[in-house]
Amino acid sequence: MSSKGIPDDMLVCRCEEITADEIRQAIREGARDVTGVKRRVRAGMGLCQGRICEKFVQQILCQELHMGLVQTGRSTARPPVRPVPFGELARGCGNDL
Amino acid sequence: MIYDVTVIGAGAIGTSVAYHLCKKGFSVALIDRGDIASGSSSHCDAVALISDKAPGLDTKMGDASIRHYRELAESFSYDFEYDRKGCLYVCETEEELAAASSYAKRQAADGYDMKIVDAKTMREMEPYLADDLLGGIWTPGDIAVCPYKVCFAFVEEGKKLGLKVYPYTHISRIRLSANRMVEAVETDAGDILTKRVINCAGVWAPDVGKLVGLDIPIQPRKGMNLISEQTKRIVWHKVMEFGYMMSKFESINFRRNVSSLVEEYNVAFNIEYTKADNILLGGYRGFRGFDVRSELEAMQAIAERGIRFYPCLKGINCIRSYAGVRPYVKDHLPVVSAVDEVPGFYIAAGHEGDGICLSPITGKLMAQLVAGETTDFDIRRLRFSRFTEAQRTA
Repeated sequence: MSSKGIPDDMLVCRCEEITADEIRQAIREGARDVTGVKRRVRAGMGLCQGRICEKFVQQILCQELHMGLVQTGRSTARPPVRPVPFGELARGCGNDL
Repeated sequence: MIYDVTVIGAGAIGTSVAYHLCKKGFSVALIDRGDIASGSSSHCDAVALISDKAPGLDTKMGDASIRHYRELAESFSYDFEYDRKGCLYVCETEEELAAASSYAKRQAADGYDMKIVDAKTMREMEPYLADDLLGGIWTPGDIAVCPYKVCFAFVEEGKKLGLKVYPYTHISRIRLSANRMVEAVETDAGDILTKRVINCAGVWAPDVGKLVGLDIPIQPRKGMNLISEQTKRIVWHKVMEFGYMMSKFESINFRRNVSSLVEEYNVAFNIEYTKADNILLGGYRGFRGFDVRSELEAMQAIAERGIRFYPCLKGINCIRSYAGVRPYVKDHLPVVSAVDEVPGFYIAAGHEGDGICLSPITGKLMAQLVAGETTDFDIRRLRFSRFTEAQRTA
């Protein structure tokens, strides 16, 4: 697939409203992996924590930098797995808040 | 070509040092084994405060750095989200309030804009704050910045002045001449010939020090925070509990009435909003080596402590936790210094949780040291030789 496979104006990260063009710009500014893109344009920092956009970001990195999927890396896995209210989180330690 | 200076480490300290050297007209190479801001400077909080500093040199450097941030925000075309949001320290008990008052008085006597606010004023400033708190310290000049954008900003502005950046570059050796002068940095991208090396590698500074036979006493100290979903505004300033001082300076002997979990993880409440409308909620510090995994019990304790001060957090979602390591030095002062044993070798590291705050002033002071100028103020206490002197007298 050519690097134009994903149109520039496509919303890649829906949570943070980041387009393919902005991701390509981040790569031109030096991002070489998923985390580098995230830090430069916030793709993957939103409510879904990159569950939707990570594969697209990886694909754009592969195309722009002619690298394999493995080299694009992944966002660091961090709890919580799903959004959880702070109240639930605190109750987990047996506090009656 | 032979660089005037090679800076190792592209975090908040290294990028600032590199920028300030370029500004003085030096030719500068900036090396990092990873991306810009891929270490501690993207795994921390986002504020630069004087109100968490010990009176004296610590506060003086913080104040100078915050002022310098303002100048940089005005002159840089790269936006690093400078925000003069002010900091509010809140007190739970009369004992805390008394300690806070004497701290604020001391700082005000030194000329810093810091004052005690009563419970009513505090509630007007932060309406979602728990209603049983007694008062606090208000420091209007404290600021927030986006820490990794600070690094990108220094790099981008530095490039305009000729800065050469070598990201993803691994160092195998620092070559010294026969008379132990710095000569070159050998990397997987080839030899970088240089007259000077500045070690700005933070928690990894000891590894770089070993390459020239130095023992640099910096240890990794873990910090952890929680991030909320984007939400309506519930906090307008940086807000922290006075007990934060206790978690930062373990020498302060002071006990809070908290759960065993909060006590065990040394959790001190602090909260801030970000430009993207997420909330950062902290925090905990602990010694876990280089292990930066999120600890579930620490997350629970941070949430518990956060709700104690902002009860409405109960219904707001946490979407992520993160942790990083801070470069801890036992005497809580960074090293900003030449190294007598190795001519041409310098260290700017060991800022622990103040690296973001002290980034601009550290860059400025280091550039003055390298240029052989008089530094803006006396930084003899930041010399590397203090460790060897301490060993000798011990």
